[in-house]
Amino acid sequence: MATSVIMPKLEMDQETARVIEWLKQEGETVTQGEPLLVVETSKITIEIEAPASGILAGVRVGPGDVVPVTEVIAYILQPGEELPAELAPEAEPALPPSPAPAPAPEVTPSPPPVSRPATPVAQRLAAAHGLDLSTIVGTGPGGEITKADVEKALAVSQPPAEAQTEKVRATPAARRIARERGVDLSTVAGSGPRGRVQAADVLVAAAGPSPEVERTEVTVIPLQGMRRTIAERMTASYQTAPHITLTVRVDMGAFEEARAQLNARAEATGQPSVSVTALLVKAVAQTLRRHPWLNSTLRDQEIHLLPEININVAVALDDGLIVPVVHGADRKSVTEISAEVRDLVARAREGRLTPADVTGGTFTISNLGPFGIEQFTAIINPPQAAILAVGATRPEPVADEEGQVIVRPVMRMTLSADHRIVDGAVAAHFLTDLREVLEKPTLLLW
Amino acid sequence: MRELSYAEAIREALQQEMQRDERVFIIGEDVGVYGGAFGVTLGLVEEFGEERVIDTPISELGIAGAITGAALMGMRPVGEIMFMDFTTLAMEQLVNQAAKIRFMFGGKAKVPFVLRTPAGSGTGAAAQHSQSLENWFVHVPGLKVVMPSTPYDAKGLLIASIRDDNPVIFIEHKLLYKVKGPVPEEPYTIPLGTTEVKREGRDLTIIATSIMVQRSLEAAQQLAEEGIEVEVIDPRTLKPLDKEPLIRSVMKTGRVLIVHEACKTGGYGGELAAVIAESEAFDYLDVPIIRLAGRDMPIPYNRTLEYHTVPQVENIVQAARDLARGRM
Repeated sequence: MATSVIMPKLEMDQETARVIEWLKQEGETVTQGEPLLVVETSKITIEIEAPASGILAGVRVGPGDVVPVTEVIAYILQPGEELPAELAPEAEPALPPSPAPAPAPEVTPSPPPVSRPATPVAQRLAAAHGLDLSTIVGTGPGGEITKADVEKALAVSQPPAEAQTEKVRATPAARRIARERGVDLSTVAGSGPRGRVQAADVLVAAAGPSPEVERTEVTVIPLQGMRRTIAERMTASYQTAPHITLTVRVDMGAFEEARAQLNARAEATGQPSVSVTALLVKAVAQTLRRHPWLNSTLRDQEIHLLPEININVAVALDDGLIVPVVHGADRKSVTEISAEVRDLVARAREGRLTPADVTGGTFTISNLGPFGIEQFTAIINPPQAAILAVGATRPEPVADEEGQVIVRPVMRMTLSADHRIVDGAVAAHFLTDLREVLEKPTLLLW
Repeated sequence: MRELSYAEAIREALQQEMQRDERVFIIGEDVGVYGGAFGVTLGLVEEFGEERVIDTPISELGIAGAITGAALMGMRPVGEIMFMDFTTLAMEQLVNQAAKIRFMFGGKAKVPFVLRTPAGSGTGAAAQHSQSLENWFVHVPGLKVVMPSTPYDAKGLLIASIRDDNPVIFIEHKLLYKVKGPVPEEPYTIPLGTTEVKREGRDLTIIATSIMVQRSLEAAQQLAEEGIEVEVIDPRTLKPLDKEPLIRSVMKTGRVLIVHEACKTGGYGGELAAVIAESEAFDYLDVPIIRLAGRDMPIPYNRTLEYHTVPQVENIVQAARDLARGRM
């Protein structure tokens, strides 16, 4: 019996995944558990294993395709078996290995897409741009797709390649001057209508770059993979969650002392030292227990106060960042947390994180202290309710209880919270509670 | 120099040529006793008599046939069609006969006539008395087409047209008749096929014909106050066209606006645009060639609508400004 290969759902809020490559070709024999293809989610790149042994057939997605989770992307057939009826019409023998990528058969998925009502102008516009109306959400009366809806969809889907391949628009005069003076028109910024390069633009370009500007070509990096995910999530977060930010100054004297004691013991017992991050995770996790609104998420019309406290720790990579999760951080010891964070960071930098390592977070800590930053505000990692931005600990003059100026190790931390869920006072209580814990680490025993 | 109106300059040209050459005569509707519908031939019948200033019935094809025949027989007739709209009635003689005879007889016959006719809107004369049909004639090999824009040009070009051995369609403009300008008293000629730069400028070239030359000069004056220096060029004869000054000007400014009153579609502006695009000036264009012309519609009787049917000074100012600032 044919086994369908579906696009797996690897993460809680995952809706789609992008196919990177097929490791097996159509018609090839595969064994259950063997890597079949590589897909990329918004967080990770992962190999998908064959769900059964047999012959790979009916491959209907190719590299680059973004596929909704749970959708059938191929079948594994037993020898002599035919493709399921819904795939049959193409009647193409699947047996000989076809050159990759195998063409995706034109199949009507079941159930067939509901044809959504659209205005005539919307239909025409969509057809002109080859846009599938079933992918557009209508905002008109009764959910009718309007011209504006199509334009919005087009604005999102417009491939940037178009701009790159477009011929340079230049006036004849601009072209002549460029020819005479050996100026590459594609490097000239046009000031005319629709960016048309005019004579004056070429003359400016021909006059030569100002000495400090050496590079004339724009370096183009496609927005994809992790970078695209970061861009989309940061934009979505900043646009949907009204951020409230609160900053406190923390006297880190006792914290540093506690860490010194822990590390003295670690050294004595031959264990690795405890990191600042691990202690912060521990302190934040335990404080969150008393402040469930900061450990929540907004889903549709409901606020979910989450039972687990899973702390994301932002890890900077060469080409972006990733936020692996310490699950159940409030129940773990600082040494456990420290070891776990060390492992996560190492695997993040090697690109070996699994979906479980990056999903399920309920609160995020971003520490730019090691980069020398004193204070900053972070953007909430959706769908979480808050993020803590931790600055560097520096000796600073402060007034003691008697009003005398003394120098103390001071750290500033800033909480960004989703103001739809978290009121200012709620955020303030959490932050001052956390400050107290950091300033009196004994309270971690509470 | 003394000033004459455009109508007076034409009258003086006719008078001086009739005095100089007895083969020259005038024929048309109301050109004699009445002095012409616009008073151009006023007083000529008194000076030269009814033999040389001939009133005809309403008979445009007859006038065209008479001047064609007379010219073939060695006369130098100047016919008048009271409104250019009615040259349509004279087309057979003009297009099929006058324009082709010299060619068909291998140069052994010639048709040295001038057909004067006023074109243009602005007098409230409605759709059948306001047209600018110059391009109908431009399209016919064998005809020369002249469109003076000033009293000076009118006199010099008319004398040259009378002395030319080919049929010349001499297109005047109703609104220009009263426009005054310096005109020398003695006879002089302006060779057919000589474009004139009416105003020099570095930022933009306007090529205009007939009354649009006057409007473009006024627009140029306004634009100069904004710091935009417009060059205004008048081909004066649409056929033959003296292309070189146009090309040189466009090579200087890189921007060209073409202005005429006739309907845009199929109008002379398309010819001018093509001449520039085909020339070495192409490589100097820094904006698209833009035509400002009459709307593609009959001239309305309503004065407000009539006004907005053809280019006015403000339209030229706007278009020239946009072009000069690279916004087109």
